[in-house]
Amino acid sequence: MRIRSAAALATAGLLTLLTACGQSLPDHTEDELRGQGEVSGDIRFSWWGSASRNERTNAVADAFEAEFPGAGVKREAADFGNYFKRLNVQGAGRNMPCVTQLQARTLGDFTDRDALLPLDPMIESGAIDVSDIPEAVLDTGRGPDGKLYMLPTGAAYDALMVNETLAEEAGAPLPAPGYDWEDYIDFLRRADAGLPDDIAATSLRGGLPNFFIAYVQGRGENMFDGNQLGFSKELLTEYWQMWQDITEEGLTNSPAANSEEPTSPEAGYLAQGDVLSDNRPGNALTPAQGTLDGAGEGQRLTTLPLPGGPAGPGNVLITSGMAIPRNCGNVPTAAAFIDFWANDERSGDIYASDNGAVTNTRLLQRQLDDPELPDLKKRELTLYQDIVENDPPIVLYPPGYMAVFESAFTRAYDDVAFGSATVPEAVDTFFAEANAGLAS
Amino acid sequence: MTTTTPTPRAAPPRRPRRLLFGNRPTRSPLLRALVKHSVMIITLVLMLYPLLWMVGASFRPDNQVFSTLGLFTGDFTTDNYRDGWTGGDQLNFSRFFFNSLTLTVLCIAGNLISCSLTAYAFARLDFRFKKTLFALVIGTLLLPYHVTLVPQYILFNQLGWVNSFLPLVVPKVMATDAFFIFLMVQFIRALPRSLDDAARIDGCGHWGIFRRVIVPLSIPAFGTTALFTFINTWNDFLGPMLYLTEPGTWTVSQGLASFLDATGQSAYGSLFAMSTLSLVPVLGFFIAAQKLLVEGIATSGLK
Repeated sequence: MRIRSAAALATAGLLTLLTACGQSLPDHTEDELRGQGEVSGDIRFSWWGSASRNERTNAVADAFEAEFPGAGVKREAADFGNYFKRLNVQGAGRNMPCVTQLQARTLGDFTDRDALLPLDPMIESGAIDVSDIPEAVLDTGRGPDGKLYMLPTGAAYDALMVNETLAEEAGAPLPAPGYDWEDYIDFLRRADAGLPDDIAATSLRGGLPNFFIAYVQGRGENMFDGNQLGFSKELLTEYWQMWQDITEEGLTNSPAANSEEPTSPEAGYLAQGDVLSDNRPGNALTPAQGTLDGAGEGQRLTTLPLPGGPAGPGNVLITSGMAIPRNCGNVPTAAAFIDFWANDERSGDIYASDNGAVTNTRLLQRQLDDPELPDLKKRELTLYQDIVENDPPIVLYPPGYMAVFESAFTRAYDDVAFGSATVPEAVDTFFAEANAGLAS
Repeated sequence: MTTTTPTPRAAPPRRPRRLLFGNRPTRSPLLRALVKHSVMIITLVLMLYPLLWMVGASFRPDNQVFSTLGLFTGDFTTDNYRDGWTGGDQLNFSRFFFNSLTLTVLCIAGNLISCSLTAYAFARLDFRFKKTLFALVIGTLLLPYHVTLVPQYILFNQLGWVNSFLPLVVPKVMATDAFFIFLMVQFIRALPRSLDDAARIDGCGHWGIFRRVIVPLSIPAFGTTALFTFINTWNDFLGPMLYLTEPGTWTVSQGLASFLDATGQSAYGSLFAMSTLSLVPVLGFFIAAQKLLVEGIATSGLK
């Protein structure tokens, strides 16, 4: 009898467990899919950032709640790396926040799982206004099917960050606008001749995917062809050989020093005055200059676009934006929040392009017209304008880009840099690993 | 009658003196102690240097944190402690400390109760499949946490427990920490069964034996379990990051992570200041429970 009771109890527990594990998504009405309906009730909103960005983001969310008194925003923040770890688990559990911040590089991970709602019907209905966002920028939020799944709200870019003071002292004028990779290496050679022995002309960045993307764009090849690599083995061989050559020439710091460098812009070698130039996110200019100021030697940093090539400029935009997952039960409020974030002047003023330049041209001009805008921030925003004017190419990142491509790329180049593999061997290994990983 | 003259026993060979450096023994005990202590102090300083650097950096302005490898150089400020403690309405370290302490106390209580009862069953009771079940429990030690991460999240999400302490506390009440079960089983097995028999003669059942005999004699094992649970829970980041999403529910480890971000401006001064403060409870608990920790590990065979 006792055994029978225990068995019944275990069966009931198992059934409860299986029921609990069953996934369900809300059935959205046509109006909801168009973002139409009452803006009220709570939504969850998640983003990545540190304490200072969290403060700005909270202030924008507070302004939204003041604008729509019936609506509430529950906030979820984490730093960039951990944010996506959590989001992947939330995605697997169909529990993503109603407004989820994504980056174009990670968009494929979620469109591939059919986890997001297309925003086009909400734009057509007027629930989300995109009239002030350039088409080229908007397109970075599209999935492989051409539908818009992420509204880009901030556009970041990588830049060549240079210690202008050290370059002047070394007698090396900065590369002229429209410079290419040969000009860049000439600049490094000239600078190296005049730099103190303990300062390298550049950090060793052969393993940095963003720098390579610029190289590929300049040569007019494609980064990806669907879920496979789109560029040739010869191009990557040429690129890594170039880095090997300038390393042997003594223009870069050592692979060992490079591997020990802290990742944050404030703690990196450029901010410490230990290298002349580096590839850094454009918005790292202010924090890196802050650390350099702390050293008290009066050195100045500046940013340039990345080197171009025969096919044109190398820079691509790395946009971040907002998406609405299919599991969201309050689509009208989520759409209203995205619209508020992308278009309201209060939002633009409070957030102040903290995560890349604001993509809304009206809000961007408003920030640039602000006489109190710090010079470094102005430099960051004007360089963004310059890059957009050159009609930067759009890279459609396949699912698994960050997890597969970036880690395999860096690892393969480390093998070259530390002498564990020749360039052709590393290229073969990388192609095999990346293509297999992206295909799966 | 013969007499035997006892032959003098050969003196046992002198054990060679332990040498620190070279072949020649140090003659002066004072010199030996000096060398020994110097080596130990140098090693200690090397090991503690990163910690001391962190404390020093917490008193430097934000833009001077990375300007030197020295300990207490540059300008002095306590702003990092003020700014870090009350970083904003959403970021308040008094709330994070309260959350961490609450979570830690609940996890310790859960582990102590559930693991000790489970361990008693495995160590003292006879039931079918005992060895198989014990092997299964120990087998879970080989299962990486990441394997069960997603299924656990889905389950807890469907139960509506996300954004509460329940996903982090309830498993502790269900004896899921196999390491502590093993530790307690080993400890209880070492206790003489005659004590159980004596208690049984006095009228105790299993509950009475557990409460009146096993628990009082297992205090070192309880102390070790409490200490390790404290450290694990206090330092845990992945679990709270997944389940405690709103800033009001964050723990200290999440609060510390919020000072850093690779895509924006980090606040290293505040990070180091709050990291320094977050070490205090761990150090205090460790010092208080140090004796129990050593005893618990030594007597359970977990060396």
